[in-house]
Amino acid sequence: MSLFGASIRRKEDPRLLQGNGRYLSDIKLHGMVHAVFVRSPHAHALIRGIDSSAAAADPRVVCVLTPDDLPVGLPPLPCIDAEETTKPFNQPILATDKVRFVGEPVALVVVEGDRYIAEDIAGLVDVDYEPLPAVSTAEAAVAPDAPLVHFDSNVVDVLEYSVGDASSALAAAPHTLSERFITQRYAGTPLETRGVIVEWDEPRRGLTMWSSTQVPHSLKATLVGYLGLPENAVRVIAPDVGGAFGVKLQPYPEEIVLGLAAEQVGRPIKWVEDRYEHFLASTHGREQYHDVEVGYDDDGRILAIHDHAVTNTGAYLQRLTLVEPFIGVSMLSGPYVIEHQQLVSTVVMTNTTPLNPFRGVGHVQAAFTMERIVDLVAAAVGVDPGEVRKRNMFSKDVFPLHRGIGNVLAGEIIYDSGDYQECLRRAMAAAEWDDFRREQESARAEGRYKGIGIGFFVEETGLGPYESGRVRVEPSGQVIVFTGACSSGQGHDTVLAQITADELGVEFDDIVVVHGDTDLVASGVGTYASRSAPIGGTAVRHAAGSIKEQAIRIAAEMLEASPQDIELIGGEVRVKGSPGSSVSLAQVAGRVAPGQPLPAGVDEYTLDATDVYHPPTNTFSYGCHVATVEVDIDSGVVTLLRHVVVNDSGTLINPLLVDGQVQGGVALGIGGALLEEIVYGDDGQPLNANFMDYLVPAIGNMPEMVVEHMIVPTPLNADGMKGAGEGGAVGAPAAIANAVADAVLPFGAKITETPLGPETVYRALQDVS
Amino acid sequence: MSDHAVTIRVNGVERSESVPARLTLADFLRERLDLTATHLACEHGVCGACTVLVDGETARACLLLTVQADGSEVTTLEGLTEGDELGPIEQAFWAKHGMQCGFCTPGFVLTIAEMLDDNPNPTREEIIEGLGGNLCRCTGYVKIVEAVEEAVSLRGGGG
Repeated sequence: MSLFGASIRRKEDPRLLQGNGRYLSDIKLHGMVHAVFVRSPHAHALIRGIDSSAAAADPRVVCVLTPDDLPVGLPPLPCIDAEETTKPFNQPILATDKVRFVGEPVALVVVEGDRYIAEDIAGLVDVDYEPLPAVSTAEAAVAPDAPLVHFDSNVVDVLEYSVGDASSALAAAPHTLSERFITQRYAGTPLETRGVIVEWDEPRRGLTMWSSTQVPHSLKATLVGYLGLPENAVRVIAPDVGGAFGVKLQPYPEEIVLGLAAEQVGRPIKWVEDRYEHFLASTHGREQYHDVEVGYDDDGRILAIHDHAVTNTGAYLQRLTLVEPFIGVSMLSGPYVIEHQQLVSTVVMTNTTPLNPFRGVGHVQAAFTMERIVDLVAAAVGVDPGEVRKRNMFSKDVFPLHRGIGNVLAGEIIYDSGDYQECLRRAMAAAEWDDFRREQESARAEGRYKGIGIGFFVEETGLGPYESGRVRVEPSGQVIVFTGACSSGQGHDTVLAQITADELGVEFDDIVVVHGDTDLVASGVGTYASRSAPIGGTAVRHAAGSIKEQAIRIAAEMLEASPQDIELIGGEVRVKGSPGSSVSLAQVAGRVAPGQPLPAGVDEYTLDATDVYHPPTNTFSYGCHVATVEVDIDSGVVTLLRHVVVNDSGTLINPLLVDGQVQGGVALGIGGALLEEIVYGDDGQPLNANFMDYLVPAIGNMPEMVVEHMIVPTPLNADGMKGAGEGGAVGAPAAIANAVADAVLPFGAKITETPLGPETVYRALQDVS
Repeated sequence: MSDHAVTIRVNGVERSESVPARLTLADFLRERLDLTATHLACEHGVCGACTVLVDGETARACLLLTVQADGSEVTTLEGLTEGDELGPIEQAFWAKHGMQCGFCTPGFVLTIAEMLDDNPNPTREEIIEGLGGNLCRCTGYVKIVEAVEEAVSLRGGGG
């Protein structure tokens, strides 16, 4: 049986289960010193001066770096500008004249000893702030007299897209409805915070940086730029990464400052973010509201939509911040045929931690908004939500489907493959929709309020521009796979070994996967946007395919046969039809080891192949979630009953691992639907920056979960893979919000925002009574 | 800041060290003894990633000072494994894909070890109750529950 498609146990686990994981904070180097960042306690303030003399006088201090100590003209953090229209709202590496959010790094203190001592001494750095009025919400930021975060307006960009003629279609529509839908600010909050170790190597005039990052190659490229070093002088290593979810997908100021300090300090420096710092200084996501007007007919067909989304992107535009406002509107219509769309996405800055993508960026808000609208339309026309969805969905015959929207961040939106109607049908069947309706009816008769809701989504996955894969066979017979993708817990070692084993017929246990080290992996992009399997996996598949061709060519000479007559099966290269005439892949690798003449027609002393795969365009996964809930009308408490997901990520390499991805995504979506919100006061002070007050779902929050897979392979890559990392997080809030709305429908309560904590639901019920 | 002499038996080995009063047990284990399977995630006693056994009972190593553990017996994940052989709980996590990034896993394994010692055959409700103090951000807990059920059967269940 082929390993490809099999639910096998992970390669990674025994090592981690024996306590042999090596996360960033586990690494100790000889002579290591410890760093702490001095951060702004103010949401908005001028820096009048920094006096670090008391700190610098402490004999344990190795170095203090303030903005004045950084190279003149050091560029701020990079930002990819969605439409190339925005002003430079990038974050300085250390705040110079002004701080714009609580937690913004202002200075670095490096000490001999340990983190405890480093924190003591960091407290001696005296920053003279002149506090300024601050603004923390998008609504407050657009008020005429709002404090200005940067220049003359807090509205820093407006992205606009349109398909058809929405204004005319809305005017002509038989019915319209309007509503505002609000998705709160929340964050990935991996259990492992960020952390960096940097070591300067004087003889080599270069440095090695270990960082808990999703993108070691992109961090390397950034360091090369900031430090003015040649590529070969910078090595970045991502050790075991304890979760990331997008929070670790960009180079951060701490990495650049530590890179700059490395040579001066001359000893390894370690910095590990604590949880409070993480809430302040690692990127957040989501905060976006949508003002929507939709036109529909008597049958519930949606004819036109006008959406104005407003995103609170925080104090700076980070590398990919603008993905949030872009995807939030561009993916709004999801699986639905809506001929006329006018989409406007306003980017607003405030004195809060910057936004950057995390698990399901933009899609979460888009799906929540659209799926709530569809349910409102269904209720207005008196048709079941499932039926209304069916009437509006694309058929399976439309692919490839050009949606007429695109930009530099995400490319043109072209849906590649799928069967949305079947996905909906299967999810409703798995949720026992009709039975639940009966159950709901009888529960209502007893004064108990249950609800069922659908959350359908289409999600842009498998983003380019490329990923690298390299396969090398050693004379021992071991196969080494190098990938530019980088694991933060997904199981890259396992699934890339499955692909390799499938292509080469070698034993799973004879495959070693290497990632997260820029000296060992020549090029790469990293892991985000559900890309490692479709892009990284395809590169490995291609590289292994080249190995196969090379092996056959070499074996042809060894076996004195023609290459056409040779096949590679079970790690043996043999002459077709004569099983006795064979050599092992190890022997083939040995035949091209240096120190001997090469076989005729072979020109390299290695059995080694690399592929750098550039996908033609992105893939689009999709799925249907159906949630059932019970709402306690007296308290507003929502209890989740069951959560069904039917997901199409294309071909599955390892269904067990994909189940894990979907289930984990659903948990994050449950957090977003019911629990998680990063709260700021009007003064820009964070109010719940710890795990006691910021509620991550615990085991008791989880409902019974059912995950099924539909497999419609994409034509865009060899194995038909579409990416599976994020969809769970995308569909869940929409489905849960619809289920809550369904539960409280008898009361006419409006459900238009997440998280649906008891207070929000209770107020929605009070507002109508 | 004066140091204090402590003697703690860690994974069966007696360790005598002189530590500052403010040194947490978690940092003692990680920084002094290089037992890095005890992870710090919230540093607040909420998430359970730093769970260890102190005299056989689960404790949050981030909330305990080393001096408070003086004279006690501490077990970390490293102490549950003998040689290369995985114990039943660890085997169950492997079999059922009960972990992804692995950062929370040591805390779960130790919590489950205590749970199954007290109650070798827990119901699903008892498992959920028992794991309420450990956060996992990757798995959605579904496969962790399955792993506990698998561990029960690997340990001979029904006990």
